[in-house]
Amino acid sequence: MTLGTFVRNNRPRWQRLETMLSFIETRGPSKADRPFLRELSALYRATTGDLAFAQTHYRGTTLQLFLHQLVARAHNQIYRPHRLSPYILGKFIFHEIPQAIREHLPSVTWAAIIFLMGIALGLSAVQFDERAASIILPNNVLNSIYSGKMWTGSIFSVLPAPVASTYLFTNNISVALLAFAGGLSCGVITAVILFQNGFMLGVVFKLCADYGLLGAVLAFIAGHGLLEISSIVIAGGAGLVVANALLYPGRYSRNDALAVQGRTAVRMALACIPALVTAGCIEAFVSPSHAPIWFKAMLGLMVGGCFWAYLLLTGKTAVKPPAK
Amino acid sequence: MNPPLSTWDTRKTELELPEEIDLQVELANVGSRTLAILIDLTLGGLVLFIVYSLWELLAHNISEDWFTKMSSHVLKIVLLLLFFGFQWCYFNFFEWLWNGQTPGKRLLHLRVIKVDGSPVSGIDVLLRNLSRPVDTLGPMGLIGLLMIFINRKAQRLGDLMAQTLVIHETAIDWSIFDQMEAVAGGGSTTPSIRLNAKQWELLHRYLNRREKFEYDVRERLAQTVYDVLKRTAQGTDLERSPLPPEDWLVELARRT
Repeated sequence: MTLGTFVRNNRPRWQRLETMLSFIETRGPSKADRPFLRELSALYRATTGDLAFAQTHYRGTTLQLFLHQLVARAHNQIYRPHRLSPYILGKFIFHEIPQAIREHLPSVTWAAIIFLMGIALGLSAVQFDERAASIILPNNVLNSIYSGKMWTGSIFSVLPAPVASTYLFTNNISVALLAFAGGLSCGVITAVILFQNGFMLGVVFKLCADYGLLGAVLAFIAGHGLLEISSIVIAGGAGLVVANALLYPGRYSRNDALAVQGRTAVRMALACIPALVTAGCIEAFVSPSHAPIWFKAMLGLMVGGCFWAYLLLTGKTAVKPPAK
Repeated sequence: MNPPLSTWDTRKTELELPEEIDLQVELANVGSRTLAILIDLTLGGLVLFIVYSLWELLAHNISEDWFTKMSSHVLKIVLLLLFFGFQWCYFNFFEWLWNGQTPGKRLLHLRVIKVDGSPVSGIDVLLRNLSRPVDTLGPMGLIGLLMIFINRKAQRLGDLMAQTLVIHETAIDWSIFDQMEAVAGGGSTTPSIRLNAKQWELLHRYLNRREKFEYDVRERLAQTVYDVLKRTAQGTDLERSPLPPEDWLVELARRT
C-alpha cells in the first residue's frame, strides 16, 4: 500500500479520534457517555494498529510522527492515574505517611543527631565567646537580650497574630521543604539547615541563660517547640533518605534507588506541613500571651505527643478497600 | 554550508506502551524549558506585584480607620500566602490539574510525562517540583541546565527522582496531505514511477507548501528536492526532461 492510499483510507478515523480527544481533554472524561468511550477505545486500538503498520512501512515519515502523537495523546487519556478520592487520601494520610516515617526512623535519628550537634556547638560557642552570637542572631534580637528583655514582645506587638502565624508557618514550611529537597545535593543543604537551626537554638539558650531570661525563653518555646523541632528533624530525615539513596544506592542502580526512596521521603516531608501550620498558630497566638507556663507546656506536650502518636502508631493494620 | 533547518532539539527517546508499540517522543530542549519557566515566573511575579502594590497603597494610607487597617492586614496575609503558594504550589498545582502542564509549558507545547509514557500522578508532580530549589531556581539552575544537557533523556535531578520526562508535542497538521488528491491521478497514461514513503512525502510536502514561499526560496527548494528525487526517474523519459525543477516535480507527482 502506498503512503497516499494509506492516508486516504484511514484519515477520517484519525481525525475523528483527534476531535474526540480534544473533547475529553477540555471537558474531562466524566462528560463522556458510554457509546463515546466505547468508540474512543475502539479508535485507539485501531490507531495503534495503524501506528504499528506505519512504523514498519513508512519509517521516518511525518505520518509516523503524527500517529505517534495521536496515540500518545489517546494513551494519556485512557491510562489515567487514580483520581483523588477520600479513600486514596485517607490511605495516604493514615497509612503511607506514618509507614514511611517508621521505615526511615534511622534517618530521622541521624537528622536529630546533626540538630543536637548544632545545639551543642551553639551553646559552647557562646560559652567561649559571647560575640559568637552575632554571627547568627540579628542585631535587634541581640540588643533586647542584652537589655534583659525578650525580643518577642516587640515583634508580636507590631504584627497582629494572624499575620504573624502566617509568616511563621510559611517560613517554617519553606525551611522544611528545602531540607527535604536538599537531599538531592547529597545531603549537604539538609545538613546545613539542620545544623544552622540547632546552632541558633543553642546560641539563644546560652545567651538567654547568661542574661537571666532562661525562664522567659522556656515559657515562650514550651507551646510550639516540640512540634516545630520534630517537624524540622523529620523533614531533615527525609532529606537524608534521599541523600542516602544517592550516595549508597546498595543493590539498586543509583537512578532506581533515588526514584524508590524519593517516593517515601516526600511522604515524610509532607507530614511536616500540617504540623508546622499548627506550630505557627501556637507560636503566634499562645506563646507570646501571658498564659501560665504550665498551660503552654501542657499544650506543647499534648500537640507534640499527638503528632508522634500519629506517626508511630497509626496505619499498622492493613487498609480496607472501599465497598463497591 | 546550509544553515540547520530547525533549531528545535531533535533528541528523541523511545517509550514502550502496553500495546507493545515503541512510542517515540520529542524531548523538550533546554531553551524551551527555560523559556517556559521564565513565562511561569513572570506570570506569578505579576500577580504578586499587583497584590504587593495594593498592600503598599493601603499600608501607607493616611486614614487610620479600622477598615483600612484590617484590609491591610488581610492583604498582608494574602501576600504571604501567595508568595509561599507561588514558591511551592504553583508548579505542583498546575502540573497536577493540567496533566503535566503549567501555563508556560502549555504555551510552548511542553508536557511532563512518566518515563513509561503514562500521565504523571500527584506524587510524581510533587517530587519533581519540590526539588526545584536545588536544581532550577536561582544559581542552582545551573545544575539543572547541566543535567538537561548531559542526561540522555534530558532529566534534571527532580525528573530523575520522579522518573518523568518533559516532552515537546508537535501540533498535528493534516493539511500536508491535502494536496495529494489534487495532484495525484491526473489521468496521464505514461508509465508510473514508484517512490518510497519518504520520497513520496518529501515530494508532497514541497508541493503542498510551495505557494507559501518567496519566489527565490521556492526555486532553490525545488532545486534541492529535484536533486534528491532525480534518480527515481531513471530509465523513463522524465530523466532527460528539459522541464524546470518545479514543473518537473509536478510532473513526477502526476506519474506516481
